[in-house]
Amino acid sequence: MFSARRFIVAAGAAAAFLAVSGSAVQAQQTTVRVGVIQGLSGPPAIVDFGESYLQGIRLALKDHEARNPRTRIEILVYDDEANPQRAVSLAQRLIQNDNVAAVIGTVSSGNVLAFAPILQRARIPLVAGPSIATDITQRFINERPSFIFRCSMVEQFQIDAMLDWGVRNFRRIGLLHSTTGYGNFAAREIQEGLRRRNVTLVATEAAAPGVNDLTAQMLRLRDAGAELVLNFHESFELLYRPLPRINYRPVVAGNWGLSSMKVLEIVGREAIEGTVMGQALDLNDPKARAFDERMRAEYGSAYRWPVLGALGYDAAQIMFRAIERVGRSDSVAIRDALETLDGVEAISATPARPFSPDDHECLDREHVFLGVWRNGQVVRLEQR
Amino acid sequence: MSVQNSRRLAPVGWLLAIILVAAWPSLAPNPFFVHLGQTFAYTAIAVIGLNILLGLSGQMSLGQAGFYAIGAYGSAITATSFGWPIWLSMPFGLLVAGLMGVLLGLVALRTRGLYLAMATLAFGFIVEIWAQRAVDLTGGTMGLFGVPQLDFGDFRNVATYTFWVCAAALILVQLGSDWVFSSSSGRRLRAIKESESFAQTVGLNVPLWRTAVFAASAVLAGLAGVLFAHQSGFVSSDAFSIRLSIALLIAAVIGGLGDTRGPLLGTAILVAIAEVIAGFHTIGLIIYGGILLAVLLLVPEGAVGMLRAAVKLVRRADLPATASEAPVPQALTPRPPPPGTRRGGSLEVVGLSKAYAGVVALRDVSFSVAPATIHALIGPNGAGKSTLINCVAGLYRADSGSVRLGDHEVASLSAHQRARLGLARSFQNLQLISGLTVIENVMLGLPRLAGEGGVRAVMRWLAGLPHEEAERARAIAVLDALAIAHLADRTPGELPYGHRKLVELARALAQDPSVMLLDEPVAGLNPLEAQQIAIALRRLRDSGKTILLVEHNMEFVMDLSDRITVLDHGVVIADDTPSVVQADKRVIAAYLGADDIEAPESGKVTGP
Amino acid sequence: MTLTNFIQLLVTGMAMGAIYALTAKGLFIAHLTTNRVNFGQGDFLMAASFISLAAIGAGLPLPLAVLAVVTVLSLMGWGLERFAVRPLDRFGAGRAGGALAWILTTAGMALILQNTVELLWGKSSQYSPPLFSDRRDNVITVGQIGFFLEELLIILAAFAAVGAFWWALFRTRWGRDVYTVAFNPDAASLLGIDVRRTVTSVWIIAALLAAVSGILVGPLVTVHPHMGLIFTIKALAVASLGGFANPIGILVGGILFGVAEALANYWDSKYGDLYPLLFVMAMLVLKPSGIFGESKADIR
Repeated sequence: MFSARRFIVAAGAAAAFLAVSGSAVQAQQTTVRVGVIQGLSGPPAIVDFGESYLQGIRLALKDHEARNPRTRIEILVYDDEANPQRAVSLAQRLIQNDNVAAVIGTVSSGNVLAFAPILQRARIPLVAGPSIATDITQRFINERPSFIFRCSMVEQFQIDAMLDWGVRNFRRIGLLHSTTGYGNFAAREIQEGLRRRNVTLVATEAAAPGVNDLTAQMLRLRDAGAELVLNFHESFELLYRPLPRINYRPVVAGNWGLSSMKVLEIVGREAIEGTVMGQALDLNDPKARAFDERMRAEYGSAYRWPVLGALGYDAAQIMFRAIERVGRSDSVAIRDALETLDGVEAISATPARPFSPDDHECLDREHVFLGVWRNGQVVRLEQR
Repeated sequence: MSVQNSRRLAPVGWLLAIILVAAWPSLAPNPFFVHLGQTFAYTAIAVIGLNILLGLSGQMSLGQAGFYAIGAYGSAITATSFGWPIWLSMPFGLLVAGLMGVLLGLVALRTRGLYLAMATLAFGFIVEIWAQRAVDLTGGTMGLFGVPQLDFGDFRNVATYTFWVCAAALILVQLGSDWVFSSSSGRRLRAIKESESFAQTVGLNVPLWRTAVFAASAVLAGLAGVLFAHQSGFVSSDAFSIRLSIALLIAAVIGGLGDTRGPLLGTAILVAIAEVIAGFHTIGLIIYGGILLAVLLLVPEGAVGMLRAAVKLVRRADLPATASEAPVPQALTPRPPPPGTRRGGSLEVVGLSKAYAGVVALRDVSFSVAPATIHALIGPNGAGKSTLINCVAGLYRADSGSVRLGDHEVASLSAHQRARLGLARSFQNLQLISGLTVIENVMLGLPRLAGEGGVRAVMRWLAGLPHEEAERARAIAVLDALAIAHLADRTPGELPYGHRKLVELARALAQDPSVMLLDEPVAGLNPLEAQQIAIALRRLRDSGKTILLVEHNMEFVMDLSDRITVLDHGVVIADDTPSVVQADKRVIAAYLGADDIEAPESGKVTGP
Repeated sequence: MTLTNFIQLLVTGMAMGAIYALTAKGLFIAHLTTNRVNFGQGDFLMAASFISLAAIGAGLPLPLAVLAVVTVLSLMGWGLERFAVRPLDRFGAGRAGGALAWILTTAGMALILQNTVELLWGKSSQYSPPLFSDRRDNVITVGQIGFFLEELLIILAAFAAVGAFWWALFRTRWGRDVYTVAFNPDAASLLGIDVRRTVTSVWIIAALLAAVSGILVGPLVTVHPHMGLIFTIKALAVASLGGFANPIGILVGGILFGVAEALANYWDSKYGDLYPLLFVMAMLVLKPSGIFGESKADIR
């Protein structure tokens, strides 16, 4: 028999819970809520990004509170499990139940693309990150006003920087990418970028996300004579392990993920030496160095990724400054403030005026550069 | 389960459900609850499919996300890339999911248990890999955009319309599920779950049923996927991982497997948990795991089981204590058997041989059973009696030889085809479905009646009226013939062993057989009970039924049988009347020479 | 493909296959005796890897670290049986929780285990140092074929485990007990066999197999709290290939699967993970109970 009554009871219980959490916002007028959706569970390929970005956000919140602002900011953090269906549901919840004024998130580009239209329609600003698919803000920029911003690496910028450098220095380039959306997307951009430069890859190898061993793929790359291997697999460390056994020493370059200190720890200082990746944080900059030290003190061994933390921090501080300027939970006004905000002292390479009506990216092409592992540290790659 | 009492309230429940669905968008505290309502509705549909598959037919699937994905892509791709209208793309999604269900169902026919779990798991992964890599078609993880939504031209109310469509679909599916659970289909699926060979011998085409139920659960998972695709407007392969298959399984189990209300409760709990713990992601897995363990270890029948226990607690306070007393064992005074349509037929076995891996179990066995007689098959342990009876019933295929049932040559037919031609059998170890009442067990044996599951029956069922009166009447008549009609609404587990034997006999009788194969009908019974069975069998013979029985109780056999065939080492060593067989030297030698000699009159519990 | 490449892939595939086989053997022994398996077998392996690297990281010498892992995993195996599996016996198989409830209770334990490891060591991948060397690139080269010592050991361990199983199952009293309990627990207890102890011992052995493979696998793969599922699934595939009731079949199935995986990745890396699954699916259709068969007729 249809148990309508029982469903009402169950729904009622859930409603009571949500309503209690929802009513808090009306009580305090000066509090503005910001929703954060991040990939916080599942394999490290997602969680390392999500947690590192979130660490930056939390530090920015701490700094915001330390400034004794007029506006109190509360963040609501939800885990989207890297599942777009869940991400959409959380976005709905943030908008309709939790009454947030703005949203920051998430790791998977597919998830951002899934909920960005909902936020655009609800007129709630989104600062996307750390997702990197190229067209996230481009899709909405002509909507005037677009509510979709981003503070993260942009895939195309890092790939272009890398290919420019790659074709200048190497004759034979190979690619290893993962079969996830992220890896396929990168592979497509690389192939197109090389076609424009009249270069073809000597080998293209793929690997599933849960793979444990890449010997087969690396044999193919070795036998194809690849001197430079572009690494766009989320398990950044996997590529290095079979190298000594097959006596192969290519230069490795790839996604900004390669700058994670966890990758350094697993791969080892010698093996990772000379690996090149897209970067947006220069640790030679005193501001960045101070940030690095604060994060280390704040999170200890759970701090693992300077550039991700820095972009998370910048995304949040930009958002918080815009909210502070508006002073109330008015999402349209906050959007406008984001677009015109100036004088930001960003940790990453983000400029003082991050956004404009035509540009909703923190990082533009000129802010992205190449970093390289030297003696256990990522430094700016000096190019001849 | 006393379904009958609560049935009367069913129409009220449905009405309430419809009112709730209609009003929910205005009742909901905020639009997010409408969104949750959508998610609840289509997820519940998939869980209902799994509940029918696993809870009723006992087939495990760890790959439901695969069907869900196929349904979603089937509709989303045709609606976007090919520009089909929704009313065409949605059924197409269901069709593709159903076809894949048939395919996987065919694979499932060859495997059981863990192997089946593995096959479905592999299927789920294969679909996920396909969805992730066939980027040109599916968009991979980056997704497929602009899937048309269920807005009916009015975009501001899209959430309400989507909810109504999903909820209407759920109500229809739930109706279907309720019907399956309260009709002959549900009983048959339970029989398949309990024992496939048993289900065959009551005339069920087991492979067909198993494949059909796989396809049905695939269509339901596909429907959920279709609704999801048009709800979200965006379909990405990341949504269809093994986590979804497991979540559906968890919902089915938490709700209560094998109960038609389980999926609704289970899905509501699953959706509620996900929202309640959304903020506690650091210990999310511990919470999920803890809930799973707690439910399975403490309340294995899930939320439905808890409710049932609570209701029972309340009811017990109201009822007089005598209601739950065990029945007073009453003397069996069988009445004349019910008027069957089939007369007793003959059974003829000619030159039957069967060997297992080179070991000969039956060698050129021939004998014939005359119509309306009781024919016994005896022999020492390992003589081949079980093999023979299984070859006759069709559970084993003989290597050579012929089995004639009346005018039909049945040696090449399957067990369920033989059952339909009038061959019924009882089992040495009882095969009664524990989840069903006595009368429902007997109804399992009834051949399909005209009008069963017809429009009239469905209408009566919808109105909360009894919808199986004809079937019930026939089953009662059969039970009455064996003087156990008063036990009709008990479950087999509550009955003493002798009564259960009678129920099994009643079920065989309900098949309206021409020939009954009885495997040790009095094993484990006391002499009085055995006597009662003997009386019942005589009456059956006198009314024209043909009976072939295997039995170790010599007194019983000699007293009852018209003719006896003796088997030793797979060969017929005697075939004559009881008095002649009793005096046959070879028979005596066979029994005395056997390794374990037993007192001929003692009942045996375990046979060869 | 050159011969050296082929042999190189064979070695790698065999090492991976040996891990799958060891994990699958944990499934096999539990299934043989109780018709149930631990759906968190891979997560037990994961836990073993974490405990091992924590012990080694804390400066324990290898034998002591091994002892620590073995002790903890035995306790986990005992606890799993005692608290997540045995209580199910109270309910008959026909009841609603069903004959397959153990899939979900053991999976539930696996979720709790994953979360616990996350809370203790974080969600990231961990560096697991080589067991017998200070250097990460310590490769043994024979001809042009390079392999890690751990790979050799894990292959040896897989073979040794099969040998041990063979001996223990067919030559010892314990083996007789196991088969008797497998055939009929009630009859076994009538024969004076301590059914509970036999069953407990079986689950502890399954956990110990996870311990051994967890210690050896750490340095070969990336260790993180969610690495277990893929091993459970591949072990299930391997056990289905080889037949859940045959120790040799499982070794053959495991190595076949590992090598198939390596070769598939070489020939078409884009779908490298798909082919082994299709292979298993096809084998399930052709040989529904494994290459070496496990025939249990449904006779009533």
